[in-house]
Amino acid sequence: MTGSAAATGRPTRFWLILYAIGSVAVATLKLTDAIDGVTALILFAGVMALLIPMVRAAGRGPCASPATRRYNRRILIASFGYLLGLGAAIALWHSYELSDPLIFLIALLPVLPTFAMIWAMARYVIEEGDEYLRHRTIMAALVATELVLALGIFWGFLEMFGLVPHVWAWWVLPAWALGLGVGQGLQVLRDRREGEE
Amino acid sequence: MKNRLKVLRAERDWSQQDLADRLEVSRQSVNAIEKGRYDPSLPLAFRIAELFAMPIESIFLKD
Repeated sequence: MTGSAAATGRPTRFWLILYAIGSVAVATLKLTDAIDGVTALILFAGVMALLIPMVRAAGRGPCASPATRRYNRRILIASFGYLLGLGAAIALWHSYELSDPLIFLIALLPVLPTFAMIWAMARYVIEEGDEYLRHRTIMAALVATELVLALGIFWGFLEMFGLVPHVWAWWVLPAWALGLGVGQGLQVLRDRREGEE
Repeated sequence: MKNRLKVLRAERDWSQQDLADRLEVSRQSVNAIEKGRYDPSLPLAFRIAELFAMPIESIFLKD
């Protein structure tokens, strides 16, 4: 087997772990002011490229239904749209003196792709014909929602009492996505413990 | 809920994938139902009963 063939055969979790490490590394560099926003965006674009082999690996996985493959493809397109929209919005905002209505419009550039991600999640639940796979996703979504609620309430009160800095509200989407991954990972671990795979 | 899916499948010498293909569900679904980790919906339970030509209550048993 060639190196390239071996790479395409790596499981989803391999790419997911690389993606998570890359995202945390870029976020840490940005939060500690080691890099500026533009550099963070460029680095994150590189990290996001890991989503392509991850989606391909997920399409080969045991839980890959046609609805899952459509969902992964939609999320991938929306993710790149988000990155492109965010980059364009930041560049325009920094480069020009814009009126409030125009700022509102450029703020929509990263917002609309995230709405597309939310739509893709809803479509998946509607389109998934396998009730057990749908059940698993809904359970993972509950874990994600609980994580967002817990983090939001915890951070919100710490922020109210001046212990932590203010965080922009868009953090809910990456936190929810992280929770979805945690929820799915917990189910995979349980399946393995019970000797499914 | 307990069930006799594994026994009924074994009697017919079907793998989990064979049964999943006949029911048009994933192998994970069959595995989860067999292990009692997931109770199927009524429509799926009826499909299973139909496939084995048995009443639902002969396949799915109360705990």
